[in-house]
Amino acid sequence: MAMTVEQLNRQRVVHLLDAFARGDIETALASCTDDVYFLTHAPIDVLPHLVPRQGKQELRELWQTVWSRYSEVRYKTPHIVAEGEAVATYMHAFFKKRSNDRIVQFDMAVFYTFRGGLVAEMREIIDSYDLVQQVLEREIGPLIAGAD
Amino acid sequence: MTEHSLWRFSRALHRAINDRDFRDIEALIDEDVEWALYGPIDMFPFLGARQGKDAVLDVIRQLADNFQVRRFDRESIMLGVDSAASMVRYSLTALDSNKPISLRVAQFAQFRAGKLISMRVLIDTFDLVEQALGRAIHLPKMTSVG
Repeated sequence: MAMTVEQLNRQRVVHLLDAFARGDIETALASCTDDVYFLTHAPIDVLPHLVPRQGKQELRELWQTVWSRYSEVRYKTPHIVAEGEAVATYMHAFFKKRSNDRIVQFDMAVFYTFRGGLVAEMREIIDSYDLVQQVLEREIGPLIAGAD
Repeated sequence: MTEHSLWRFSRALHRAINDRDFRDIEALIDEDVEWALYGPIDMFPFLGARQGKDAVLDVIRQLADNFQVRRFDRESIMLGVDSAASMVRYSLTALDSNKPISLRVAQFAQFRAGKLISMRVLIDTFDLVEQALGRAIHLPKMTSVG
């Protein structure tokens, strides 16, 4: 029986995530359109590499930056919802820092839009306060209180 | 065609938050519901994980105590058979300060027999904290470690 477009797109997202998690950036990029758009709703003044990215080259540079800082990437994806040309994933992400082998663990939601069987847009929402604390390896609360 | 459970739940949730009318939402939450709305719970006690209907209703009451929904726009929505994912832009008013708060929220809901059994919500929490404080949090740029 032929797969539905939802099943195909869901499989394509899993394929992309698997490729990225094993560091195969070119295979992950091959799942994307040439003008792929990437947007993370996260504090870009603190995490400047998470600025919006347009096109494969800009996305390649972002993913290379991530892999230059982390030696291991794992995902657990408890929720995937697909409808038509859109797929949403809720993921637990685990990134191991190259600098000290600590694991940065955070939840993220990614909304994918497909065009012609390729990912044309990725929009992420992250629990960014927690992510920043883990990346900084310090609590933000005392910094806020100290500024008052 | 039967209406998807998400629409009933969404209407009831907004009625609960804006009108403090909890009758509809009570009927749409499973006794064993799992709920997670992650963020800094020291600043926002209604964030965090909850288990069970009473605990979730308590969170919704706290949301109603703290916020009014002025507007919401669904930017993305995907409906499965008993599941739904959406990205929603909310314009809220914080009731204690009358401050406007604008949030983009990812919601993942699962239903069984028309009732909510799981809800996971993600927010750009750093942005939420800055809006609640009314100022930017100044941290060093993580150009080499982030």
